[in-house]
Amino acid sequence: MTGSVTSDRTDAGGGLSTRRLLAVLFREEWRMHTQLFGGWRFALFPLVIAALAVSGTVALLETGTAQGTIVGGLHALAVAFGLYSGTAGFAGSDMLENVFGRLSLLLSSSQTLPLSRRRLLGVFLLKDALFYGVAFVLPMALSSAALTGLSAATPVAVGLFWLSLCLVFAAGMATTVGLIAIRTRGVPPWAIGLAVGLAVVGIWATGSLGAVQSVLVPGRGSAITAGGLAIGTIVVATVSLAVYDPTYGRPSRTATDRFAWLSGALPFENAPLVTKSLLDLARSSGGVWKPFVSASILLALVAALVGVVDSITGIAPAPGIFFGGVLGLSAFTTYNWLTQFDSLEAYLAYPVSIADVFRAKRIAFIFVGAPTVAVPYLAAVIWFEATLLDAVVGAILLAGYALYYYGLTVYIAGFDPNEFLFDAVRFATFTVGVAVALVPTLVAGFVVVPPSIELAAALSVGGVVMGVIGVVLSSRAGPRWERRYRRE
Amino acid sequence: MGAIRVDGLQKSYGSVEAVAGMEFTVERGELYGFLGPNGAGKTTTIRTLTGQVRPDAGTVRVLETDPATEPLETRRKVGILPEQGSPPSFLTPREYLEFVGEVRDLSADRVADQTAAWAERLGFESKLETLHTDLSRGQQQKVMITQAFIHEPDVVFIDEPLANLDPLVQEQVKRFLVSYAAGDNAVFVSTHNIDVAEEICTRVGIVADGQLVTERSLDDGADEGEGSLLELFLERVEAEETRDTPTLEHLGS
Repeated sequence: MTGSVTSDRTDAGGGLSTRRLLAVLFREEWRMHTQLFGGWRFALFPLVIAALAVSGTVALLETGTAQGTIVGGLHALAVAFGLYSGTAGFAGSDMLENVFGRLSLLLSSSQTLPLSRRRLLGVFLLKDALFYGVAFVLPMALSSAALTGLSAATPVAVGLFWLSLCLVFAAGMATTVGLIAIRTRGVPPWAIGLAVGLAVVGIWATGSLGAVQSVLVPGRGSAITAGGLAIGTIVVATVSLAVYDPTYGRPSRTATDRFAWLSGALPFENAPLVTKSLLDLARSSGGVWKPFVSASILLALVAALVGVVDSITGIAPAPGIFFGGVLGLSAFTTYNWLTQFDSLEAYLAYPVSIADVFRAKRIAFIFVGAPTVAVPYLAAVIWFEATLLDAVVGAILLAGYALYYYGLTVYIAGFDPNEFLFDAVRFATFTVGVAVALVPTLVAGFVVVPPSIELAAALSVGGVVMGVIGVVLSSRAGPRWERRYRRE
Repeated sequence: MGAIRVDGLQKSYGSVEAVAGMEFTVERGELYGFLGPNGAGKTTTIRTLTGQVRPDAGTVRVLETDPATEPLETRRKVGILPEQGSPPSFLTPREYLEFVGEVRDLSADRVADQTAAWAERLGFESKLETLHTDLSRGQQQKVMITQAFIHEPDVVFIDEPLANLDPLVQEQVKRFLVSYAAGDNAVFVSTHNIDVAEEICTRVGIVADGQLVTERSLDDGADEGEGSLLELFLERVEAEETRDTPTLEHLGS
């Protein structure tokens, strides 16, 4: 604290002013990330985002993708990122306490200091919105320069595009926070999920998808639409904070003994470790449906993108190859869920090696990941009427790429897949690793429709090879991280 | 051969020297108290003795195993109660202890018997089916104490054994630790609580700045003419603490 403590206090006697609280939270956020990843690795992260956004936009333009499609895709990404960022509103739930609680001292200070938890959460989310708006959304907006070309008007164009992306990012955040606030009033998760599902089906069934798309790309719509979205977002955020019950506490939960049965049923050397992972996932908030929902969101985004591309260009990809390649990416989110409530250090109290723990995670990943991607994939190939050959090749790609993305994630990120999202070096490595497999596959999926026998054979071999690489990477992850943990 | 033998142990984290030439021995039958201020190197020493981190230099033997080169063998033989408490887990205490039992190759019957006995001893029978993450910190500590002793190890490493426990349970745990060590086992307790160490330990080592600065026997036969353990602690550690800790005058200015 400095000598300006007196001026930091509000007249109402509420302690720190909101401005000062925001500044302290910003400082903590910065220090948390620079402590975790090293200052320059975190500081470089926006540059990596900018490079990816601009190069991706240029590549898409060069391959004939319409500007409108790219703009829509970037807004879809911003909405998805906003929906994800809003999960910081899980204050008080096991998810936030376990994921953020140990890292954010300030967030838990409402328990010990005369700070309103509702106010603290509001400022925390505002900080997140501003922080991510600058560190992540602004670099994404630089792709506008690639869309319109460099000119004297470029800064204005980038600025407007940034505002448009920020608006939908904030709308996504407010939506998630709103759902969490409803949850704190005792509404069961299944009811919230059902309502969301019905809303999505309703939009689709009433043919309102186009209207939603126009609202979610404010830069292309009218000022009234954009203003409406802004006001709606502010209203939802404000009402959410008012509805949010800071005293909400989930009742103590009990469970019958499933461990011995499940561990005994699994024919693996590391069955106890696998069982622990599966039960932790099944009993945490959202249960075993979390990975499935993540994969379904990915499916919905990609399916919407395919629909947009088809409607604009008249070109539809080979659905098996396209969805097989893309849905494998859900390996990252599935692994993330499997490690969300776990700590590698904790296993060091038992006579198990870190390599054993990673082997067990791989088995758990296959158990959870296989149905997680299989169901959305089947839905996609049926919905988009894939040929048999296309569907089979896509299935091989899906299995191989999922293993590859899994191996890549585990090798690079160890037990903390969430953290490397903010590490420029590791994120760039992961992105390049993904692009090496995915880009040629997507190009092939768009160019040769339906796939020829030769292409199908080549892609199948590629899928198997990537799967083997994934297994090798995940096998080497254990010894690699064991050395690192024991050295540190 | 001592149950625990440490000779010239060194461990640094980057430029921070956490342990700087530690040397001591703990025999079977001893309840050894490891005392020191925050950051003195106590937890790093325990992590090294249990094979969780590899030392930079020095030799360590625990029950005739080398934790640096055979960490799993060491951890198989000892019990560990870590400082940071348990990780968030959605297993119930019963399931968690089954997990520990399977990892330690214990029979299901033995785990069930131990679980029942410890639940009764520490009073968490009614919580055996509650998810671990929904237990209070005190209840979680009871479960973690149980996992450290469930295989009846010859050596147990405990970081702050009484953290979060209510006074009644603290007394039970203290009595148990004394009797366990007396049964030809070695109990290594790292703690800040000098009164507890003085009450239950047979010998203590005081550590400061990564080194063992002195040891004292607290057996009944020890010299009663010596000052209290607190006085000894302050005498040996105060100089370092005064240097590192800001005084009230400093804070005020």
